[in-house]
Amino acid sequence: MNLIECTQLSKNYSGKNVLNQVNISLKAGAPIALVGPNGAGKTTLFSIICGYISASSGSVKILGESPNSAKLRGRLSALPQDAQLDPDITIISQLMLFAQLQGLSKAAAKHEAMRVLELVDLAQVVHEKPKSLSHGMGKRVSIAQALIGTPDVVLLDEPTAGLDPANAKKVREIVRQQSASSTFIISSHNLDELEKLCDQVIYLENGSLKQSLSIQSKQNVEYLTLVMTETDMQALTNEVSSFEGVINVTTSTDKQMIIEYSHQHGFQLETQLLTLFAQHQWQYKSILKGRTLEDTLFS
Amino acid sequence: MNTSVNQMPSALIQTWQLGKFELSKRFNSRSGLIALIAFVLVWSIILIYPIKEASNIIMHPSFKDFIASVFGPSTLDQLFKWQVAEFAMFWVAALYLFPLFSIFISADQFSSDKHRGTLRFISLRVSRNSLFFGRFLGQVFIQSLLVLITILATIMLVMSRDTSLLLPSLSSGLVVFIQLVIIVLPYIATMSVLSIFANSARQASIYAIILWVVVSIIISIMNVQFPGFEMVGYLLPGSQLSNMVNTHGLTAFAYVPIPLIQTVIILSIGRIIMQRTAL
Repeated sequence: MNLIECTQLSKNYSGKNVLNQVNISLKAGAPIALVGPNGAGKTTLFSIICGYISASSGSVKILGESPNSAKLRGRLSALPQDAQLDPDITIISQLMLFAQLQGLSKAAAKHEAMRVLELVDLAQVVHEKPKSLSHGMGKRVSIAQALIGTPDVVLLDEPTAGLDPANAKKVREIVRQQSASSTFIISSHNLDELEKLCDQVIYLENGSLKQSLSIQSKQNVEYLTLVMTETDMQALTNEVSSFEGVINVTTSTDKQMIIEYSHQHGFQLETQLLTLFAQHQWQYKSILKGRTLEDTLFS
Repeated sequence: MNTSVNQMPSALIQTWQLGKFELSKRFNSRSGLIALIAFVLVWSIILIYPIKEASNIIMHPSFKDFIASVFGPSTLDQLFKWQVAEFAMFWVAALYLFPLFSIFISADQFSSDKHRGTLRFISLRVSRNSLFFGRFLGQVFIQSLLVLITILATIMLVMSRDTSLLLPSLSSGLVVFIQLVIIVLPYIATMSVLSIFANSARQASIYAIILWVVVSIIISIMNVQFPGFEMVGYLLPGSQLSNMVNTHGLTAFAYVPIPLIQTVIILSIGRIIMQRTAL
């Protein structure tokens, strides 16, 4: 059974197509990235999956069930974009309510609330009210509520938006840790972050599905991304282009080069490159196997 | 994988859980406590001054004759049949004040939480029916508690005058409690519906005022233009209140179907709106 199956899914707001006949099929497993520019329809797609809004046409199945199905309760959870807990009620009371609504007894609900707060490293704020927390801490508490009952699917809409690097890193760690028990679907603008966490990437643009790809899929054509420091890029391009097996060389930014080459065994190309750098006294900053998600999506 | 799938509580239990949470939320927050203190103070003043003083006056036999001569023999005659004078006065005051209070106290059933996105956390765990009826039930609990507090205070007021009136006070208190809770039901239900549309409690209260004024005007015009449609007046919550002033004890139960039917109709409409609204 597919985790999420969207068929010809469309959503119109006052005549404007926000989602346009989107077909998506997602399987459980590693975190899945949902990428796209502002207004691409990411939040709308999440809102339909969560049952906050209804689709104009088409269908969505989550774990084989329609949105808002009673069978999804406790199995699907979400961190909706910009949603906040009640600022005047203690965090433990709210998380306990959520856990009790999911069928836990009062004692078990308290235990579960403490467990998820410990997961996000916020056990110390259990008796605080959300209004006394920083933005980053509030976001982590909201992520904690999404982990109650270890749901099968967790949707995170912009989980690190507006967070400082330390809090963003913490959120990534939480997702990585919990990926064994739940499948996360993460919407974000931060491609570096998604690259670190996700395998499958869904790219939406203007309400339509533009790409669906796996970052780690094996293909006959491979890529190396070089980031150089003190280098004559034109000379480097000429040298690399003459290597055996190299199909194409592109310079994406001032000091970054993407080498497209046919699949090789061992590290023949890497060895040739390091030898070349030594000969010319060229300095490199990084050699990345593959392409960044940004280059993959927008090349 | 998730292990709690088959343990999800029934819709009724979830409705009950949400109702209980609303009650505890109201009295555990600082703003809720301030509102409660204000409520107690207002009612203390009403009880100590108008109700206590008026009770002393209506116990005087000549006052009954005076009222009968001014308003006619059967306009307010039932008021003098109350065994406990304080409850006669409390009844008149509460008939109008509790509906008014209930509008403002139950104005924020959904508006703030919807605006803030808090309902999104809850709606993934409960059906929209449970969410809607749970919040309504919570407000019924809150209003019932407030009615109970004022009735107990009235009984204490009676006791300060005559301790032998304890039993009549308790029986009058019970009847009045049931009556008042039923009377406020359609008001709470109306606020349940209005707070789905409003962005704040204040906005929901404004909608309520507009609704009551506009509907009252429409009903008045209809009564003049189409005298056969007087029943339309019963669509508006509180339409029976002026008739209920001159009732006494169990006789007031004759009016119970009106607020109950209004509540069922308003809640049915609210349920449909809640199902269709975007959260």
